[in-house]
This record gives sequence, structure tokens and C-alpha cells, in this order.
Amino acid sequence: MVTLADVNPFEMIAFTGSRVLEDNTIVFVGTGLPIIAAMHAQMTHAPNVNLIFEAGSLASILEQGMPLSVGDTRAFRKAVFAKGLCAVFELTQRGYADYAFIGGAQIDMYGNVCSTYEGGDYLKPRVRFPGSGGAGAMAANCEKTIAIMALEKRRFVKKVDFITSIGFGDGSPDYRLKAGVMGSGPYRVITNQALFGFDEKTRRMMLLEYLPGKSPEAIQELVDFELLISPDVREMAIPTEHDLFLLQKKCDTEGFFLKRKVVEQ
Amino acid sequence: METGVNSKIVDVTQVSKEVLDKQKLRKQNFEYWGPTPREARKAAVAKKKGLTDKRMPIEQAVNMYVKDGINLGIGGFVNTRVPTAILWNIVKKGAKDLTLSLQSSSICCEWLAGMMIVNPDHVSIKRVELAWWGYEVIGIAPLLRYLAGNQMIEIDDYTNYGMSVRFKAGAMGIPFIPVRDHGGSDMELVNRGAMIQCPFSGDNTYLVPACHPDVGIIHVPMCDMYGNARIFGALCTCPEIAQAAAHTIMSTETIIDNMAIRRYPNLTEIPYPVVDAVCEQQFGSWPGAVYGMYWFDMEHFLYFRSMCDEFRKTGNKDKLKAYYDEYFFGCDTWDDFIAKIVPHKKLIELRKRDGQQPIIIS
Repeated sequence: MVTLADVNPFEMIAFTGSRVLEDNTIVFVGTGLPIIAAMHAQMTHAPNVNLIFEAGSLASILEQGMPLSVGDTRAFRKAVFAKGLCAVFELTQRGYADYAFIGGAQIDMYGNVCSTYEGGDYLKPRVRFPGSGGAGAMAANCEKTIAIMALEKRRFVKKVDFITSIGFGDGSPDYRLKAGVMGSGPYRVITNQALFGFDEKTRRMMLLEYLPGKSPEAIQELVDFELLISPDVREMAIPTEHDLFLLQKKCDTEGFFLKRKVVEQ
Repeated sequence: METGVNSKIVDVTQVSKEVLDKQKLRKQNFEYWGPTPREARKAAVAKKKGLTDKRMPIEQAVNMYVKDGINLGIGGFVNTRVPTAILWNIVKKGAKDLTLSLQSSSICCEWLAGMMIVNPDHVSIKRVELAWWGYEVIGIAPLLRYLAGNQMIEIDDYTNYGMSVRFKAGAMGIPFIPVRDHGGSDMELVNRGAMIQCPFSGDNTYLVPACHPDVGIIHVPMCDMYGNARIFGALCTCPEIAQAAAHTIMSTETIIDNMAIRRYPNLTEIPYPVVDAVCEQQFGSWPGAVYGMYWFDMEHFLYFRSMCDEFRKTGNKDKLKAYYDEYFFGCDTWDDFIAKIVPHKKLIELRKRDGQQPIIIS
């Protein structure tokens, strides 16, 4: 019997990420935990989840192991379609990517994500990050956006410094329409201690699940804006022994992301 | 271009008014950061279009096309099929006031940035139009953080699709292209694109300008001596960059016979007229990966990155300087460099790690 003590935070995120993916969908993945989550989903409840890697592949078979990046040659193994960035982003813009799986440094209550800089101002950033990469385009045009974040007050902020990846903006019903983007927007936010969704009416972030042993109040403590709490709020499922086996021995076998051998930003 | 049309980002943005005014001015006074579409057209028309042997050493190609002040379009994607051999020769030759254009890149940008830090009279980056500059799994790019934090470079931020499709617009010979991203993000306010109301659908639609590098640098697994190139695995945005650039320098792992190209013309991803120089160079993308040929050399990415990160933290350039002295200026050619920096056994291992991805050579 697996207890919470046996599961590290990254395994919790990857497992939860896997749970939220429905079968028979296309997932546009970012590097790291999203790839692991999607691989786990394919091995368990969603065998017909197919991946887009932004360097240009669709529905590859990851038989050489987990790609270390979205441009890794392994991400093209036995794909059904291998082109370049334009091709897969255009499939996405056209409506053929169900989920975006993105990360970032800050997120606000409307699911807007910053991955451009933190502190200072755009022209004089305190810490400049790599930039949008694919995330801005994925959040705009994949149908549903899933963000993976560490649950910390400095990351779950009232206002993000810079909106790199569009969420619901200020929450107004026509924000995304006026932005000219096509996807329906933020869907889930996954952290090691909580799973969030978004309230349909207000488009505000809502706590759906929390780590066993925690409480909605404890989660609120780690968030700088006021959370909505789902009326059906419940504890998160924890991975079984088999899930952990898959994550550790079939997905990230070298522990690049689950053991954070190399720290990614 | 300033259209007066915006999404509701104007009500939400946290970027200061002072910065927004500056960026607005940049939109109003828009200029292409490289050849205009008409200048790029002229460069294409001026080329001789016969099938001529374009083989030459990288050094010669770089001397012919790389000048101070140019827009350098960098091919590949992050650590994949990156044109490191060409870039290495550019660092050795020196080039100042460069504009870089790329979607996502790692060591190519950091090598230029490192040289700029060691000797800004030899290499300098003036500005960058990009989506992403970092190493992915290996970490963020220390020198981008340093240059941006100290306002030493001007940046123009797009998404990976935005930059890719800007090259595509260049490749198509059109001055801009409408996209469904950037709108509603702060990029709408700070980059050089423009929101319009679409005359057909009535939708707010974001426009990004075409990007024509003066010189595109691309590495491919194989091409013929005229420049007809095949690519396997990720095309990245290489075909678009090659066709958008006024001039394209292409390095290749191997040169194949023109009759092989003609046997399967559908496999040609880059057609010869857009290529100006064909430079045969094995391991021309090391420490990057080339599908069907070799995998990443993680060790070197980590090694160089940690040296850069140390500089960022301490301000001490000694190690960086020693690296360039030994591995750039202490080597005559890329082959010498590879022989000095990677053990032969490691190269064999990298070939094995590719896992024999299937490619069609002849």
C-alpha cells in the first residue's frame, strides 16, 4: 500500500496531470512533467492520447524513452507526421489540439501565466526568463490549457508581471474573443498539493482537490488571491504502486524531472 | 504600425506606462530589422539560378556573407540541428551589432553572448527577435539573463509560432501574416506586431511582420552540391528561414549525389536556389543532435552553461576567456575544435544514442 510519504511532489504532479487527460485526444506537450504525464496516461487509462511536440511531430511512439526536450530526436520516433513548428502550430490553430500543457513562473486567478520575466519591468527585468517559447501560442489556440506550477505564494499572485500565455485576462466574458484567440482557455492548474479548475461563470480559479491531510484553508494560505472552493472539493487521488512503477521505470527512468537531477526553470 | 485597435490587454497589463509608450513608439516607427520584403526580393532576383557547385569551406562562406550589422537567422530548435559549426566560424571571424532572429535557441545564442562579454569589439549582439532563448532540460540561459537584466540588448518577443510564421511570411514573399496568438497577452503591447480588425471576419486579428534575415544559417543531414537538402526528424523552421533569408549558408553532414535528390524529389525540403553556400561538415551541429546521425552531448551543454552561470554570479570572465582562447582561437577549423573538445569515444557513443533513426540517404 502506497502512502503519501512514498510519493514525491513531482510524481504527484505527473500522476495528476495524467488523470486529467481524456482518451482519444491530442495533447500539445511542453518539456518535462507534461511529457511524463501524457506517457503515463497512454500506459493506463488513455491509450489513444496522442502527442504533439512543437518541433513538429504528431503521435510518435516513445519507445526510445522519454524525450528530454520537445525538440529531442526521440520525440519523432515512429511519428505519423513529422514536419516543423509551423505545421503543428497550424494544426493547433485550426482546432486539432485538445490540450495545451504549459508551465510558467507566475499565474493569477484568471489563469494568465507569466514566463517572460519576474520583477522590474519589461525593459529592465530583475530576472529575465527564456520567453514565451511555444506556451503563448498553445495557451491561445489549444482548446483547453493545463498549467503546471509549484504551489507558492510568490507564484500564485494577484497580478502577473507580464501575461505571456493568455488565460481569461480580467475575467470578462469576451476577453479571449477580443484577443482574437481560438481556444476556450484555462482548464486545470496542477500543483503538488492541489488541483484547480475554473468557475464557469466568473472564470476564476477554483480549488477542486487538495492533498490528503491538507485542507482548503491550508491551500488558500499558499495562494495570494482569493480562491473559489468547489462545492464538491475532495482529496486528490494518490498514485498506486503500479503508477509509481510506470513513472519511475517506464517514463522518467533517469529521474531527470521526477528526481530533478537537472533543475529546469 | 499602430492601428488603434487592441484587445482588452490594455486594461489588464501590469507593464508600466513608460515602457508601453516606448514600445508603442517602436510600433509606430516600425522598420524591418533586416532586409525589407522588397530588398529580400531583389537579393533573390540577383542570384544566378543555374545548378552550380556551391561547395566551399564554412570559413569562406562566413567571410563572404557575414558582415557587421546584419540580421542573422539561426536555424534548428533549442538543441536540435543547431548550426553550431557555422556559428563557431562567425564567432572566430567576429561580427558586431548583430540582430539575431530565431524561434528557440540555446548554445548558438550563448556562444555569441559569451564572446560579446569577453570582447565586445569582436562580437556584439544589438538586438534579438525571438520566442525563446534557453537550454530546456539543462536550464535557463545565464547570458540572456545577464544581457537582458543589464539592458545590453533590445528584445522583441513573440511565440514560437509567431517567429516561425514570420519566417514563413518571408519565405512566401508577403510582408506580414495574420495569426491567432499574441493577442490578449502583453506581447500584443510590447512586440512589433499589430492588432487589426479583420476586414472579412470582423475578428480582432494579430499581424506579425515578415522576417527576412540577411543571412540564414542552417545545418542539414544531407544535400547535393547545389544545395537541394533533405531533413529528417524535425524540420524546425529551417526551410522557412532558408527561403526567407537574403542569403543562406548551409552546412551538411554529408553531400549526396544529385541523382539521389532527383529520384525522390518529394524529399527535398530546401530547394537549391535559396542556398548560397554548401559546406560539408560532419558533426556540424555538435553538441546538438541530428536525427539519424547523433544525439545531444548533454555534458558539453552543462559544462558551457555552468561556466556562463558562474560569470553571471561572480562577474569574473577569466574562465570564459580561456574557453574562447583555447577552443575558438586555438583551433583552425571545426574539425580541429571537435578533435580537441570531444573524445572520439564520446562521438561514437553519441552516434549510438541516436538509436538509428531511419533516414533515406540515396
